[in-house]
Order: sequence, then structure tokens, then C-alpha cells
Amino acid sequence: MINDGLDHFSDRKTIIRMSYRVGVDIGGTFTDFCVFDEESGAVHTLKVLSTPDRPGQEVIDGVDAIGERYGVSPSDISYFTHGTTVGVNSVIQRKGINLCLFATAEFEDVLEVARLKMPDPYNLLSRRAPPLVSRDKVFGIQGRVLFDGTIDTPLNEESVREAIAGVRAVGGEGVVVALLHAYRNPIQERRVVEILRQEAPDLAVTCASDVWPVIREYERTVTAVVAGYVQPRVAHYLTAFQEALDSAGVPAEPMLTKSNGGVMTAELGKTQCAQMLLSGTASGVIGAASVARGTGSQAAMSLDIGGTSADVAIIRDGAPQYGVGEMIGEFPIHIPTVSVTSIGEGGGSIAWVDAQGVLKVGPESAGSSPGPACYGRGGKRPTITDAFVVNGYLGSAALGYSAVDIDVQRARRAVEDIAKSLGCSCEDTAEAIIKVAVSGMYLEVSKLVSRHGIDPRDLDLIAFGGAGPMLACFLARELGMRRIIVPPTPGVLSAFGGIIADIRNDFIRTVYADLDADVTDTLASATEELRLSGLAWLHEEQGFDGTPVMQFSADMRYRGQSYEIDTPLNESWIADGDLAAITAAFHKEHERLYDHADETAPLQIINLRLVVSGVPPKPKIAALEASDVPPVPTGSTAIYCDGREQTAEVFRRAELLASQQFSGPAIVTQDDTTSCILDGFSVGVDTLGNLILYSEG
Amino acid sequence: MAIDKVTLEVLKNHCVAAAESMAYTLYRTAHSTFVKETEDFTTGLTTPEGFTFATPTELGATWFVGMNYGSVIESIEHYEDGDVCVTNDPYSGFVCTHTPDMHIWKPIFHDGEIVCFAVGHIHNTDVGGAVPASLSRTLSEVHQEGIRIPPTKIVHGGEVNQEVLDILLTNVRMPEQNWGDMKAQLAAVNTGERKVLEMIEKFGADTFRQGIDDLLDYAESQARDIIRDLPDGEYFFADYMDEDSVDGWPCRIALNLIIKGNSCTLDFATSDPQLESSMNIPTGGEERHVMMLVGLVYVLYTLDPRLFLNSGITRVSRCILPSGTIVNPEFPAAVGMRTLSAMRLQEITFGAFVQAAPDRLPASPCSGGPIMNVNSVDNRNGRRVMASIGPISGGAGGNPIEDGAEGSGANGSFLKNTPVEINEAEVPIKILRYGLAPNSGGAGKYRGGLATEMRFQAQAPNTKVTARNRDRTRFRSWGVLEGKAGTNSAFLLNPDSNHTVNLGNTDILTIGPGDVVHVAAGGSGGWGNPLERNPDDVVQDVKCGFVTPESARDTYGVVLENGSHNPTETQRLRDTLISNRENGEAFFDYGPERDKFESVWTNENYTALSDLLDDLPVHWRFFMKHRIFEAVADDPDGGSIRDRFAKIVEEFPELSRGLAS
Repeated sequence: MINDGLDHFSDRKTIIRMSYRVGVDIGGTFTDFCVFDEESGAVHTLKVLSTPDRPGQEVIDGVDAIGERYGVSPSDISYFTHGTTVGVNSVIQRKGINLCLFATAEFEDVLEVARLKMPDPYNLLSRRAPPLVSRDKVFGIQGRVLFDGTIDTPLNEESVREAIAGVRAVGGEGVVVALLHAYRNPIQERRVVEILRQEAPDLAVTCASDVWPVIREYERTVTAVVAGYVQPRVAHYLTAFQEALDSAGVPAEPMLTKSNGGVMTAELGKTQCAQMLLSGTASGVIGAASVARGTGSQAAMSLDIGGTSADVAIIRDGAPQYGVGEMIGEFPIHIPTVSVTSIGEGGGSIAWVDAQGVLKVGPESAGSSPGPACYGRGGKRPTITDAFVVNGYLGSAALGYSAVDIDVQRARRAVEDIAKSLGCSCEDTAEAIIKVAVSGMYLEVSKLVSRHGIDPRDLDLIAFGGAGPMLACFLARELGMRRIIVPPTPGVLSAFGGIIADIRNDFIRTVYADLDADVTDTLASATEELRLSGLAWLHEEQGFDGTPVMQFSADMRYRGQSYEIDTPLNESWIADGDLAAITAAFHKEHERLYDHADETAPLQIINLRLVVSGVPPKPKIAALEASDVPPVPTGSTAIYCDGREQTAEVFRRAELLASQQFSGPAIVTQDDTTSCILDGFSVGVDTLGNLILYSEG
Repeated sequence: MAIDKVTLEVLKNHCVAAAESMAYTLYRTAHSTFVKETEDFTTGLTTPEGFTFATPTELGATWFVGMNYGSVIESIEHYEDGDVCVTNDPYSGFVCTHTPDMHIWKPIFHDGEIVCFAVGHIHNTDVGGAVPASLSRTLSEVHQEGIRIPPTKIVHGGEVNQEVLDILLTNVRMPEQNWGDMKAQLAAVNTGERKVLEMIEKFGADTFRQGIDDLLDYAESQARDIIRDLPDGEYFFADYMDEDSVDGWPCRIALNLIIKGNSCTLDFATSDPQLESSMNIPTGGEERHVMMLVGLVYVLYTLDPRLFLNSGITRVSRCILPSGTIVNPEFPAAVGMRTLSAMRLQEITFGAFVQAAPDRLPASPCSGGPIMNVNSVDNRNGRRVMASIGPISGGAGGNPIEDGAEGSGANGSFLKNTPVEINEAEVPIKILRYGLAPNSGGAGKYRGGLATEMRFQAQAPNTKVTARNRDRTRFRSWGVLEGKAGTNSAFLLNPDSNHTVNLGNTDILTIGPGDVVHVAAGGSGGWGNPLERNPDDVVQDVKCGFVTPESARDTYGVVLENGSHNPTETQRLRDTLISNRENGEAFFDYGPERDKFESVWTNENYTALSDLLDDLPVHWRFFMKHRIFEAVADDPDGGSIRDRFAKIVEEFPELSRGLAS
């Protein structure tokens, strides 16, 4: 049957050139699909249940479903990206391989010692998670490279063979090789890998200087360990995924979204899996960044709220911010990643009252199982979602593509339990839960914006995820934000982000030198090396034949500082040895980030970096039909807000047209989320289908 | 009337957001690497009376939760909008406790009235004085510890007080850093002011005023619940610093903790007289002085991590701090190295409380590890380099649930190390080893966390190594409930050679090319009887190199066999060890060195000495303590402390006349 269909549609394809791009974001509970029709410019969305036990099955299910629902034939899918949490989950659930580490002898405790600092410094019992490689599986390698790359002690190959024997004795399935100063000179690390490949070809080997060759041994080692720990699992998953796609009849080469917001081929992901660990969250921000560009927003905060957490990111001039050290479970990975701050509060966060009678929300969450009380799946304790149900915001339309029925009575019963201890009405208690939850988010967002030195009132709020548009007005009021943007497909923005992402990769060379005339030759040759590596990756490994975009930058600092700033550089400055321009760029960046610069202080340049991207043709999304007639509500509902009952008009998102306007209190329903528009906000619909909310105050 | 419990939680989140935002602003804009690396700073908000009601927990030092700015706030007669005040004088109100800490406070006005203060401090890298960085054990007067600014307006109605600033900056070694950091402090209090005014707009001034008092009451109420859960009683605990001065005698801090109902008293009356070195803790005898209650805050938070951290917590306690002691020195005693004694003081507080809650609290954390600095010349470019190569830290004590964290933890959890690769790139040394010190954790059912150790080789002549805050070379971190004490700290020159030098508690050293320095922190204490430790965990520790096979056999009674253990033989060995053990009843294990010391200096003798010294004029006490210690060392059987004391007093007629009257 499938083959018949394939042939049939292949023929049609050649005739009418029908083509679709499909983005998929595979989460723990739901798998989101976003389908873009190249012909019409239409965007379709869909959610199916994830099938963690049968990886790839959800993709087959989804491809079937979009065929049924939107008439999309698999063979017409010309571009297919997907993001997955399989890597992260392997770390969190500790379901990676039995991994060993080869470290420089006398420095084998690198994972145990880490950077010392403990997560909760006020608690005498605070500790870090046990390393992914326990100390008995760390083997010392004799041999020493010095900081400048010179060999102090030659590699003792016998120590490598002893280490391999050690791996055998503990039943290791894989090895990470991470030696001191290998970012500067990887010769000993490479030789160890070579010996491993010769003498133990069955072991999965990860070379730390290949993953991200940057100074700081703990950071480099732990990054490689996370990568090595999940790599065979991820590779296995990706193979299953490729096969699933193949059997579904999708001809497109599957792409994978990356933590840096770009994409790469799934085939490459099997070896470079360190780069796809945060793919889902990153592509959500990429989606939000495209919304920011589409709405002319110069500075925005993206707010992605799901059941257990809220992910927040800053978007400047339509581009996400990048950083290193993002957490995968309890471990930092030090490769360039879209900066996302995760707040432990989501729709499922549980409200409770402490011994002093003070109302608290979280950190415990009902998650998706049992879920909020109103889901009727066994949850008894009141959650944020239940508070929204009690006060009438939710329940007037189906949620999650009718996957969930809202039971108002269960929500009320759960909230009443704590209403008694507070001595308030059920409605006032529900409102109190929302207030406390929002103040908790306010606290976390305040920290984020202070870290960046930003005033939240200068930011637009781009709200998405299942619960983002529900909470956005409340949070905007708390933070004094005046404009909220709710994209057309808030529930599947990560999947959408995958469709529009660039092919993108990062490269780095350590320079570690004072920025003076002596370093210009080094910089020029490092630049050339980076350029060649970048082009090779883009053209040969990715098969991209368009025009590459190259952004050079350098990690720089004042001499004596212990941290670097990634300073964007013009390639010609490096080529021409224009140190004055490089210096000025650093001072400017330092001033922007830290409010001061010391123009007389000597500078150091630690790393030279390159981001190479291939920009595929961007989808042209069809403009939404406009209307000068006010939108017609499907009805109205009673909500309880700011201590009083109000009547909110209910609109169906699919019926809203560009240029239409209305005001809060209102509720906008759609398959993937519910937007709550409070009194004091006015709403306009733009030609891209975004809801633009303005605070009237 | 108190505000409602929902608004209280919302206000609390806003207040914490303000304190955290202040901390991030300070951290982001601070100039000195010292601030970025050590995070030795605080920010916060206080009531008009000076009580801290909100403090950051993500960034900054952990010691200042209970801070009360009242005394310095009062010392300024009149405030105007736009004023910012500073002080770094340890003897002007006892808010500042050593000169590098520059404290600032800014009144926040609403409708012409002060509604609260935005406050904070930064530890400056240097404030002048006798030595670079302004801190040394050898100093004996606060005058040697740099310039002191009494409570003064550094900003007056929005204008910087240039005259005061010039005097300050003229007297320090790196003025642009001090000024740069102070600007970061000013940015932080301005952030605090903005956030407070936003809160007043949101909540209303009356709710805000009442609410911040309620937040103090809230934390107090939580803390009282925690104390109430502990059994009433008296819990005595004392411990020593190895030396009360360079090459001096042990220095005792003693605490008699009295828990009654929902409050407690911390009586330090039998602690040592004030020192003629700089490890005194200046408190002014205030019964809730912040330095004295750091340990209490740690304990209460550990017992219930839901505790809201502000100075309301400290209301459950009061301290007894007699004048002229190490915990309440009289002017002008030097105080720069109070960090060392403050750390010991925290552990002593843990030692008192663990007796009240042995099933909920850990054994002693590691201590005695230094912050290492190297000053040398880089052969590659002839440049002089002065850099910290990081703390030598150690683990947490074993606890009722699990082993202590390795390498760092407990009250040292805020420390960060410097990567080996960065050290080698920046500092002309070659690091030969950095990792955990095998077998250093005190044995126990739940073992103490291992200490870290570092070994490095100098590359240039005249390389100066400083190792500030070293201790525990002599006495160890204690174990509880038959858990063992950790190992001693170590500081060796050229280990494993025929010219090894044990450097003891030395903190300054000059070495040359090829010389090797080995430094290790002390191990932390174990919890519970090591013979009750799961033998599989012992086997795993041996495989990891954390415990030696000898120790597995002799201390844990585990008979190793083929990568596992022999259950029958293990049981037999454990039975034998149990029947042979001595003083199994003791709650604490202090290690043999302290047992030996206390066979002479019993608590009775030490208390007698304390009582006798109390009667002396303050400036005689340290001298007399040393005379008696020398006498006891020379002739351990030469009579009672009282007799010896009397004999020495007779040598000094002025003194004996004074005592007689």
C-alpha cells in the first residue's frame, strides 16, 4: 500500500510540484507537528502522543495524521526537521551507557571536584549529582602537554593499554578521552583515541577536544562526558527515526535541530550529539525570534510555559542570545547554546499552605501525570491550571486537541481544600494562587533581566507553550511590560522554529595571548583554519551549496579577569591586523554588558570563534486575510479577576482576521492553547496572524 | 495589623527579587576580579531600624543573612534623599568586621519619610595598611589594617563626596579597583531603591511598611518552629584553632548552647582572651551580632530548607560575649583574619547543635584549607605575576543519610576553584597534581567527604607563596556518634624527597625554581560507626581510591577479596574490632592530637584559666595565657592552673596589687 501511494504521489509531485516543510518537536508527553505548505504559504499544526518506548512511532503516527487531516502526502515532504529530548532524558533518567573516562594521571578527580561550588550554599547537606562516570571508571593516562602546547612528558602508551584493560574489567561500553591542554595540542589525545580504535574497536569513543576544544578542563571534560554518555543512545534513536521516516515514505533527508538554534543532518547528529541536547528549547527561541522579526520587535522576552516549567529567553534585534554552561539535567555543557533560563513553575505547579499559613506555589508539580485535578486523572492537589479553571478562564473550549476534558468540579474541590486554611472563597483562593505563581515568575525574571542589565519595561513579551498565553497578561502586568505577542501557533512554536532555522555550526581555536602586534599572525592563520573548517562542514558534511554566512568573534578579556566576553569581529580587522578596531569592539561590548570599560587596560584574546551558517530559502507565510469588521465572539463566559466577576467574550482563534481589534476581558481559544486577555489590554491581529496585546494603562 | 498571608508571599517574592537584582547588578558591574571570583559581597534591604528583611541567595557571601545596620544608621544624624553612607571601620558600630569590607547603606524615601534602607558590602582586594591585601595574622592593631572610614556620607544628596573619596583612594594600593567596585555598590543600592519604589506603587506604602516587618516575623516564626522541635538542654562544645598567633598556642572558642522552648542562648564566656594577632572577631558584645550567628543560620536552614532567610531568624537567639575575648575584642585589637576564627566558630556552632539533633545534622566539615596566592616572575616574558590559584577546600562531614560531599560542601559550599589549565596559563607554575586526598575523610557509617590537595612546582626564583587561613595542621575536624575525625591538613615543601620540610601552619613562603609545594586541606568528620558501614560501599571506596585497603580492613573491618569482600570474614573481623574498641561511648571523635592536648588542658583546667584571665586587665590576658601555657609545657606536673597563675602574678607587683584590690 505504502509503495503504491509513494509512486502515485511521486508522479503527482513532478507534475504539480507540491511541497511541504515539516517541523517536529518530540517532547515527553506530546509530539508537536508544524506543517508549512510552500505552495499556499499556509501553516498547519498537530499534536500526537509521544511514544518513548517505540522511538519513531510518533513520527509515523504524525505523518499519517497530517495526511488525513491536511491531505499532505509523505512523498511531498521536501524538508523535515525535528527536535528531540532523547539526549536530555538519557541524562536525567541516567539511562546512558556504562561510560569510562581517560584523564591525565594525577588529575583523575576532575569530575568529582568539578568547580567546587555547591547548588545550595546555605544547606550543610547540599551536594552535586554524582558524576556520570564514577571514580572507579576513571583511568589515568601518563603523558603531559603544557599550556603552550609543548610536550612535557611523552605519552606512555602502556598506560593507555592498562586503561583499556581497566575498561574491560568494569564492563565499559564507551570511553571519553579528555587530557590536560588538549584544546591547545590534541596530539596525545588523538593518539589515545587511535589506540582505542585499534585495540578496542567495539567501544564508543569520544574525544573531548573534538567536542568543543576550549580551555578549562572540568568544563571540557564534563561536556564530553555528557556527549559520550548519551551518544550511542542518540545514534540508535536517530537510526530508528530515519527508518521510520523512510517507511512513512518521506523522501526528505531528516534534519535535527541543535542547541545553538541551527540545524544539521540527523546523520551527523549521530556523532555530534553534544550539539543537539537542548534542541527543543533552542528551536522554540528561534521560533520566537522569527516572531520578533515579523512584528518589528527590537527587544523581547520569550516565555514558553509548559506543564512543569517556564523557559525564558532574551531576544535582541530579532536574534537570540547565546551562552555556554547551560544545564543538561544537573550537568553544565560548555558549547555555544541559545541562552534559556528555566523556571520551575508551569501549569502543573501545586499550591499549598505552609505552617505559618502562607500560600505557596511549587516547586512540586503535578506534571502531565497525574496532571492538574481538573484533568480527572487522579490529581487531587490544586495546580495553577486548576486556579484558571475555577475562575472561568479555562473550560469553555477543549484543550490539547480534545485530548483533555476539563472537570470544573474537580478543580473546585482541589482549590477548596486550601481555601479553608486561608479562610477565603474558592474564587479568591484561585486568584491568590495565580498571584503567588506570577510573583514567583516575577522573581525569576527579575534576576534574568538584572543579569543582563535590561529593564523589563523595554521588552515585548512573546508568549507561547501550552500555558504561556494563559499567564502572559498577568506576568506583563507584574513586570510593567506593555506589549505582548501571541504567535499563531503558540503550542507548536518549537516545531515551527525548526522549519525556519539555519544550518549552523560553531568553531573555535584557542589563542590565549596578549592582544598586541605579536599576535596578528597567529590570528590570521587561526582565522584561515576556522574558515576552512567551516566551509568544509557546510559544503561537505551538510551538502549545502548556497552562500555561507560567516560571523567571526573572539573571547576576550582584560588581563587579570577570569571570564571572557564573546566579542563580534569583522573578518577584515583580523586579516588586516587592525588591533585598534578589535580593541574598540571589546571596550564597546564590555561597556554594553557591564556598564564600564577601561580603555587603558591591556587585553587578552583567549579564543577565536566562527559561526558558519547556511541560510536555506525562508518560508513565505501567507498573509492573513484582513477584515474591517469587528470579530464576532462565539459567546461569553464569566471569569473572576481582580476580586470581581467579569464577563469575558470568547473568540475562536481560527476565525480571527488581520486588522480586527477587540479588548479584554476576553478569551481566545485554539487547539493548542488558551489566551487570557485581561481587562486593560486591547488586542489587534496582524497580517502574520499574531495577536498583539497592548496594555492600555 | 499584619498583612494577609497571600499578599505577604507576593511581597516576599518582590522583596527577594529586589535583593537578587541588586546582587546581579553589583556582580555585573563590579570591576575587580576578586569580586567576580570569590563573590565576597552582599546586598540587601533593611527596615528603617536596620534589620535585614530580604537578602539574595544566588550570589554573594552566605554570612550576612542576620545583618543589622542599626548602629551605623543611627550614627548619621540626618538623612536626605540621594544620600549614600559608607563605613569600613570594625570599631564604628560593629557592622563592618574587617577593614576590606566596605559597607554602604542608602535611605529610601517615600513622601519625605525613610521607608527602608538598601545596603550591602564588597570585600575590597586592598584598603592599604601594612601588607598588600591588608590582611595578615602578624598584625596586632587595627591601625595596621588599612585606612578606616567611620560612618560617612560618600554621596550627599546625589553628589559624590569627593573629599572623602580622595582620602580613601589615596590610601589604597589599587585605587581604580576600589572606586570601580564602589560604583558597582552604588549601582546596586540604586537598583534596590528603584525596586522598592515600584513595590510601594504596587502594594501601597502602608502595606509595604507593615509587610517588611511581617517578613521578619515570618522568618522568626519559622525559626522558632525549628528550635521548638529540638530537645531542651545545655550543649557544650569547644574547639581550637591550632595557633593564637604565628607559632603561638592553641586558641579555644567555647560555646555553651542552651535550648529552651523556642529560643536559644549561645554563651561564649569561656572562650580565649582577645589575641595579639588579627584573628579577633569584633562584635561589640551585641547579643545578635551577625558573625556569631552564621552557624545558627546554617543549622536552621539545614533542618528546614523552606526557611525564609532574613534577620528575623536571629531573634530566636541571644549571645553572651564578654568584653576582652576573641569574640568581643577591645579597640584597637586587629581583626583582619577574623575569617579563620569565624569559620571555626561556625563549626563550633554545628558541634553544639549536632548534640541536640544527631539524626538530622552532619559531622564537622573540612577546614583549614587556605586560599593560595602565588607571586612570581613569568620566565616567558619577564612579567611579574600575582594571582590566586584558588582555594584548597575540603568536603562536608558525613551525615545521617549519606557520605559528605567530596572536595567542597557545607559552610564552604560557596567556594569556586580555578581550573588547572587557567592556573598554568596565567601563573608560572607547573601543577603536578590536583584532586582528592585519598583516605582524608573521617571514617564512619557515612564517611566524611575527602579534602582536596594540590602539588605544584615553581619555575622561577623568588616565588612567593601565601596560604591565607591555614589551620588544622594540629587539630582535626571531628566525627560524631563513633564516626572518626578527618585527617590533618598538610603543607609540605619538596615532599617525597630527602629535604622535605613540614611547613605546619606557615602562611608565607619563598621558594625557587624546581621546588615543589604540596598543600592539602583537612578531611571532614565521619558520622556513625565505621563498622556499621555497608561493606559494598567500602569496596566501592577502595575501587575509587577514596579509602585505602589497609583502612578498609583496620577501620571498617572489611576483608577485601577479588574486587569484592568476604562476608564471613568481614563479619568475623568486625566482631573482633567491636570487642576491642576503646571509649565507644564518646559522642565526638577529635583525633589523637586533641585527646593528648586535653589530657593536660582538660575542660576544667581551661575553664579555670578563662576565669582567672577574666579578672585581669585586658592587655594582660594574652600575655598571661602564653606564660601559663609555656609553664605547663615546661613542666606538665607543676601544680594546678590556679597555683601557676598565682606564681606568675607574683612576678609583676603592679598586677598583683591590682588583683588584690
